Amino acid sequence: MKRKELILHLIGEVSNYLLENSPNRLVISLHQEEDGLHLSVLDDNPHTDEEIEKIDHALNSRKRPELAGYYGAMTGHDMLGASRLNLLGWQVKHCDVSRTRNGIKIDIWLGGDRFESHQFTIPRKDQE
Amino acid sequence: MNSEETAIADQNRTLQFLLIFIIFSFIIIGIAADGAGRAFSGFLDLQFQPARLISDFMSTSGPGASLINAAAVGATGLILIALSRVQLSGSTFAAIFTMMGFALFGKTPMNIIPIIIGVYLSGKLVGKSFSEYILIALFGTALGPLVSLVSFELGFSGLSAIAVGTAAGIATGFLLPAIAVAMLHFHQGYNLYNLGLSCGFFALFAAALIRAGGHTFEGLLLWHTEGSAILTFMIPVLSIILILTGLLSGGKKSLKDLMAIQKHSGRLPSDFMDMESTEGALLNAGLIGLAGSLYIMLIGGDFNGPTIGGLLTVMGFGAFGTHLRNSWPVVLGVIAATLLFGKSLTAPGALLAAIFCTTLAPLAGAFGILTGLTAGFIHLVLVHQTGSWQGGMNLYNNGFAGGLTAALIVSVIAWYRSKDSDFKKTIRSRE
Repeated sequence: MKRKELILHLIGEVSNYLLENSPNRLVISLHQEEDGLHLSVLDDNPHTDEEIEKIDHALNSRKRPELAGYYGAMTGHDMLGASRLNLLGWQVKHCDVSRTRNGIKIDIWLGGDRFESHQFTIPRKDQE
Repeated sequence: MNSEETAIADQNRTLQFLLIFIIFSFIIIGIAADGAGRAFSGFLDLQFQPARLISDFMSTSGPGASLINAAAVGATGLILIALSRVQLSGSTFAAIFTMMGFALFGKTPMNIIPIIIGVYLSGKLVGKSFSEYILIALFGTALGPLVSLVSFELGFSGLSAIAVGTAAGIATGFLLPAIAVAMLHFHQGYNLYNLGLSCGFFALFAAALIRAGGHTFEGLLLWHTEGSAILTFMIPVLSIILILTGLLSGGKKSLKDLMAIQKHSGRLPSDFMDMESTEGALLNAGLIGLAGSLYIMLIGGDFNGPTIGGLLTVMGFGAFGTHLRNSWPVVLGVIAATLLFGKSLTAPGALLAAIFCTTLAPLAGAFGILTGLTAGFIHLVLVHQTGSWQGGMNLYNNGFAGGLTAALIVSVIAWYRSKDSDFKKTIRSRE
């Protein structure tokens, strides 16, 4: 899959999730490097702690190559039904969900083995 | 190792132990049923037989040989999963159960290995590891009969027959990943046996090519009707083992997880072992096995290769999309259509449709009882046609018909939902 298509599918799935509650604002920010990318999506809707925990759990689920390589192709392709963040969680390197003043920010990092995470400000374990 | 990694390792160990236990049980039951000599020589004979639908291996080679064949096919799958370093979970549990089930009426180690090699080579070409394509490789063995057909029904003999069949299998496997991914989009994950649709789609072209070469597909119906206590009680006993495993290892929590599983739509990919728990999923699989066995007993159906294979498949998918709540409307739809069209519930086609129609369970889980009933009704009508379209080479014929049915229903629902919303009306009024 070309990089552009992959990014479009990632954006599609996260946006699909956040748009379900009709936010007034949805901001998508993308930072690309050769070996990886950082996608940040913000909305201005209120979210409960329980919901944030569920999002975090879905996006940081354990890596499932057998599901990602096959069913991961459905990411961002939903014609019917609710969005499914776990499709995304199986494929990405790291995710963070944090509160903003009005809503939440979902940060997604993706990259290959050579991906230099420090260039993309993934929080290091000792900084968390 | 953190707590999550420990839980994953525990899950892997439990499932590995359970599957190895089941594989060995099949061998022991096979030997007990027919004696070691007859069972093993029958198993060798099976490798060189046509395997198109419906070829009940119990009818051609006896229950003993069929069960040993199922154990060999299951062991092949389990070894491949271990070699690809994939942790066992709902999806792989479903794959092993499905492979073993269909090895009672179509799959053999001889006809599945070329397809697996083809999928592996396909991954190599596009830079994917085998672990990413393992599910396509395991479920894609539905086209095993194509390999057997090319080898043993098209007039080749000796080593050339094996070579041509193997080449056909490798070519088939090579194309499967591309088709499987495209078919997911076609029905949006509402047909659990997606490889059934993918293999059926491929088999349409393969059958057309073979027919163009002058071959005529003779209809096959080898259906074992000799009942025995071993065959009747195999699945109920296995179901009870799964239920006890779930209850003893999970306690009350497994019951809570079972209830939680019933709330999921089951749309692909729904790994109940991850979404809830391994124990809850095993309990669910066991209950489905008991319910299916009870249905066959109530209508007086045969317990043979295809029906036991069907029950094993739906039990496997009890960890990956199927549960009692999303299944019953679809099964009821199939039963209603069978009775309305004056067919017998115990006829092979209708009986297998009642078991395998649960491929459409996610439609009932997501869109309600009426959609499930409609899906089941349409499925029964269609599945009687699709087998001849694809020359019986795709063992997951119900997955093929189910995929077409799901695509039809999903298209109609998507179209209906596209009706003018207030938002669109607002936009248009400002144009």
